[in-house]
Amino acid sequence: MKPFEYISVRSLDEAHAALAEHGPDASILAGGTDLLIEWRRPVGTSPKVVVDISRIKELKGIVTSDGMVTLKPLATHTEIMTTAVIRDCAPFLACAASNIGAPQIRNRGTVGGNIMNAATCADTVPPLIALGATVTLQSKAGSRKMDLVDLYVRPYHTNARVDEVLTGIRFTKLPPRTRSAFIKLGRRNALSISRLSVAAFLTEDDNEKIIDARIVPGAAFPVWQRVKEAEQMLIGEKPSNPLFVACGQKVSEMMIAHTGRRWSTEYKEPVIAVLVRRALEQCARPDGVLIGVTS
Amino acid sequence: MTKGAIKTKINGRSYEMSIFPNQTLLELLRENLGLTGTKCGCEIGECGACTVLLDGEAVNACLVLAPQIDGREIMTVEGLMKDGKLDPLQESFMDHDAVHCGFCTPGMLMSAKAILKSHQNANDVEIRTAISGNLCRCTGYVQIVEAIKEITGEHGIKE
Repeated sequence: MKPFEYISVRSLDEAHAALAEHGPDASILAGGTDLLIEWRRPVGTSPKVVVDISRIKELKGIVTSDGMVTLKPLATHTEIMTTAVIRDCAPFLACAASNIGAPQIRNRGTVGGNIMNAATCADTVPPLIALGATVTLQSKAGSRKMDLVDLYVRPYHTNARVDEVLTGIRFTKLPPRTRSAFIKLGRRNALSISRLSVAAFLTEDDNEKIIDARIVPGAAFPVWQRVKEAEQMLIGEKPSNPLFVACGQKVSEMMIAHTGRRWSTEYKEPVIAVLVRRALEQCARPDGVLIGVTS
Repeated sequence: MTKGAIKTKINGRSYEMSIFPNQTLLELLRENLGLTGTKCGCEIGECGACTVLLDGEAVNACLVLAPQIDGREIMTVEGLMKDGKLDPLQESFMDHDAVHCGFCTPGMLMSAKAILKSHQNANDVEIRTAISGNLCRCTGYVQIVEAIKEITGEHGIKE
C-alpha cells in the first residue's frame, strides 16, 4: 500500500471536520473489504488521507420504530442476516446479506460500504431499492435525504459529495401477505461476486390477487432500478407460471433496451428471464421467504 | 506519513506498538511480530489462509488495516495452544488426517474455532458455511469437516 495519513474519528463531528479539511484527498474507511483490495491493486486508486469511521458508535446498529427499520451504515452483513427483525420484516435482505462473500467478509463488510462503493454487483442494494429505502447523507453544512435509487449516477459513482457521510438507511417493513425472494447467480456458492441477481416481492390481497410487486435486478442495468414495466404486468393478476415467464421476458427486454447488446448479452438475456421467473415463483410459494439463508 | 501508537492484545499478551498505518493486520503479525503461523495467500480475502479472530470473530487479516486493531483483541493459530497442550481442535485435525500440505490449516482452525465459540453444537451445514471462506487445494474438506464435527457438543468436547 502506498503511504497515507490515517485519521481515526470517534464521532460524526470529528469525521465532518476531517472531511472538510482534506476534501477530495480523503477516503472514508469502514470495514475495508473492498477498499483494502483496491488500494493494493497495481493500477488501483490510493488515498492521500484515510478517515476511519469504523469506531463511530452513532453509526452502528439496527433500529426499528413505527413500522420503519433504520440500518446504521456500520451494520455488518452478519448483523443484517442474523437480526430477527430483518429476517421477519425484510427476509430477502437477510438472504442477500447471507450470500455476500464468506463469514470473514460478512463479519467486516458493512451495508454502508456496500451502498457507497456502488459496484453494480452489490448484493444488499437490489432488496433495499425494492423496499423503497431512503438514505441520509450528512455533512457539516447539514443533512439531506434521498431515495436510494437516486443516489447512483453510474457504476462506482454516487451523488454523495466528498464532505458527506452516509448516516442511515431507512425503509418500511414489508406489509402482511407479502413474500420476498433474492436469487443470486455466482460462479460458486461461497465468495462469489454476483453475475446477476434479482430481488423481488409480491403482496397479495385476500383473494390472492397481486396488489403490489417489486422487481429489482442486480448487475443487469447500468444503475439499479425497479423494472416497473414488468411489475405492472403483475398487478391485479393471480400468480401463475405463464405470467411469471412473461414478466421474466419483459425484464430481459428492458435490460437490453438500457444496456444495448454487449459481450455478455448473449448469456444475460435468457438467464435474467429465468432468474426473474424463479424469484417470482419463490414469492408465490408459502415457504418462499427465507430460502438461501443458512445461519 | 506518520506512525501511530496502538494498544492491542494478541494471543493474550498485551502489546503497545508504534506502526505505519499503510499495513495490514497480516503484515503486522507476520513481519513486525514474527507470528508466521497466519499464512499469506491471495491477499484479496478469497482464500482464508490468513483467518484470525478479531474480538472472537473470524476475519481475513489481509483485509484489516493494522491501526484498526487498536484497543481490540486478536487470536492467531499460535494462541490455540494452552499450557503446552494443543487445542482439542488441533488434536482432532491430526486424528482425522485433516492436514495435507498444511497451508490452509491455520485458517481452517481459526474459522472452526469461531463457529465452535458461537455454536457449540454446530451441525454439518453450519460447519461447512463456517469454512466456506477457506480454500483447501489438497481437497481434504471431508476430513476437515469430520475433524470439526468431532469437537461439537453432539459428540462431546474432546479433552
